[in-house]
Amino acid sequence: MNYHSLNHICSFRFALRLSAVVGMILLNAGGCNLSGKPDQADLPVSPEQIANFDQLYTTNCAGCHGATGKLGPAPPLNDPLFVAIIPEDELHRVIGDGRAGTLMPAFATVNGGSLTDKQVKLLAEGVKSHWKSEAPLDHSPPAYAITNEPQTIPAVEEHTRRLAIYQRACAGCHGPDGSGSQGNRSGPGAINAPAFLALISNQALRRIIITGRPDLGMPTYAEKRGRTAEYEPISTAEIDDLVALLAQWRSVGSTAVAEQH
Amino acid sequence: MFNLLKQIGRWFDVRLGISDTLMPMMRHPVPREIEGPLGWWYVFGSAAMTLFLIQILTGIGLALVYVPAADKAYESLLYLNYQQPLGWYLRALHYYAGSGMVVLLLVHMTQVFMHGAYKYPRELTWVLGVFLLICTMGMFFSGQILRWDPDAYWGLAVAGSMAGRVPVIGPRIVHLLLGGEIIGGDSLSRFFALHVFVIPGALIAFLAVHLWLVLKCGVSTPPVAGQVVDPNTYDATYHEELKRGVPFLGDAILKDVLFSSLAVIVVVAIAAIVGPKGPTAPPDPTLAGANPRPEWPFLWLFGLLSLSPPSVETFIMLVFPVIVIAILFLVPFISNRGERAPSRRPAAVLFVIVAYTALGALTYEGATAPWSPKMTAWSGDPVPENFVKERSPVELQGAVVFQYKNCRNCHALDGVGGRRGPDLSNVGTRMTANQLIDQVSNGTPGGGNMPAYGKQMSANEMTVLVDFLVSLRPEDQLPAGAAETPIVTAPGAHE
Repeated sequence: MNYHSLNHICSFRFALRLSAVVGMILLNAGGCNLSGKPDQADLPVSPEQIANFDQLYTTNCAGCHGATGKLGPAPPLNDPLFVAIIPEDELHRVIGDGRAGTLMPAFATVNGGSLTDKQVKLLAEGVKSHWKSEAPLDHSPPAYAITNEPQTIPAVEEHTRRLAIYQRACAGCHGPDGSGSQGNRSGPGAINAPAFLALISNQALRRIIITGRPDLGMPTYAEKRGRTAEYEPISTAEIDDLVALLAQWRSVGSTAVAEQH
Repeated sequence: MFNLLKQIGRWFDVRLGISDTLMPMMRHPVPREIEGPLGWWYVFGSAAMTLFLIQILTGIGLALVYVPAADKAYESLLYLNYQQPLGWYLRALHYYAGSGMVVLLLVHMTQVFMHGAYKYPRELTWVLGVFLLICTMGMFFSGQILRWDPDAYWGLAVAGSMAGRVPVIGPRIVHLLLGGEIIGGDSLSRFFALHVFVIPGALIAFLAVHLWLVLKCGVSTPPVAGQVVDPNTYDATYHEELKRGVPFLGDAILKDVLFSSLAVIVVVAIAAIVGPKGPTAPPDPTLAGANPRPEWPFLWLFGLLSLSPPSVETFIMLVFPVIVIAILFLVPFISNRGERAPSRRPAAVLFVIVAYTALGALTYEGATAPWSPKMTAWSGDPVPENFVKERSPVELQGAVVFQYKNCRNCHALDGVGGRRGPDLSNVGTRMTANQLIDQVSNGTPGGGNMPAYGKQMSANEMTVLVDFLVSLRPEDQLPAGAAETPIVTAPGAHE
């Protein structure tokens, strides 16, 4: 070994010492809490073990009901009025069994879904507790459930009454016969479309009439927004009438209904 | 005290002859250039070997705790991760030192190839290097199986199915690998034996011969354009060069030590920062969420297989790897003479560039796997809010159908969702309502990618879905077909 390489060794020794110091600093920087240390909480749990509302909501509901429970294509769950009027049992039932006559599928394992009964219950409770109104509602809202299933062919005076309620509460945006604001690409749009009515149940219609779609600008049953200044909130019975009218449109079409009478 | 130790050492040395054997080896001359900056090209092989030593040490540590039984393996990994002091770190080190070993082997091989160092008389050294690469890949594969989470054994299922395609002896190979026809506890024992005894044994044996050949044939000089290798004259020339050489025990070994230390520091740091890999979900074959992906050194093959048409699958599984390995083995026999400098070997340089570009691109594809449907998108990826605002009730229903019928699992909206089919954010500008009805009902013609959904949804669902899809276009753009014909709405659709 000549002097030249000895000289090199000295610089190498320095480099080695430097790298040792760097290594120590790296190790010490993490101390006992090195970021790579696995946390048992991150351990994947099997899907049926998940017992966290946010996680269950994000993986099962957010696709249609929106990331924050609103602004999804399906009706919002993050809506204090909806949360106030729907009984928890009903919410439990809808999540587990789906909603007949709509696109809401059943999530309970007994119905071919992927959630245990416990998880369905947790979701129902979670919707109720997460999105309830902070302040008490300033009015007593109409009942959630449909009281009497509507007759498809009503008497003439009954039909006239229903149309009058419709004109008062809905026609301002949805047009006199439910065909929506014509010529507009978007906006409130048609509610007399057979495909739309075929894919929504009477109970779901009633819910939308009561709660509106606050996330998309549709007023609740009580708000004056988009209606005349003298508008008074519609009653439970009147909401039933509106549902009946839409059910009639569903079975025979809104134009046919107009011609019938 | 020091003198006593020295005496004991001498007592053994006289009888074992260690310094008589080792010192000449350590002092064997290497080309003079290695003392200079060019010597840094020679450090990769020894760094890979250093990481292999870490693998042996950490591997022994892990084997002390790991239980190679189907019902205990997962628990023993959890024990290492959460209970055993620094057990997690042992696992992380083992994983990243193994990864580093593969990286350094590839760098080492590329360097040897680019410098033409495999040419006469070092052909056999190269061949043994290829064996070492195969062993290392074998270690990586068998090691992944030992993790025994769903990704591991489903990955093994894929490998087993591939092996089963071998003509005539396929089933026997599967039986030998899995210890039966199906994956079970026997398979884990087999892979444990492979990972702990068989492959490392082979690796150490090949490594010993490889090192012996490095000593025997000497280290090649850095290539110089114009200095050609001729087997008839090479030995004499090299002998002359070594007369001016420097001892290995000096600058050369210091470069090796320094670079190996750097490699170890990097591995130690990454292991501390990133932590061990897996295990993921518990080993329960009924869990549907498993996402079997091979470890990163095999992602390119996974990508290649997934992107190839079914007709060439068997070829890529069985023949292609054989061809790749054969080419690697044949490298020194295709040309073991002539120029060594990369500047005079454009074909070799081009080969390396093409090979790494292909490997990189396929690895990227394998890692992102855009061909796999995103099975949770339908219920988990929200419809983007700007696709919900200003939509009519019918279109909103359509968006729900879009999610509910799992369209989202293959079709992204605004880049979120599956990527197997095209992103549909602007589909309204490309396809008319009638075209969309046809596409959704019948799928891609001729048994293409998209299944036919005609019988999977009602006429009403189809109507609202198509209404929603037609509405998917920028505010200022007309729907497809608007220039020629008035928009034809789907039968039964709203006015």
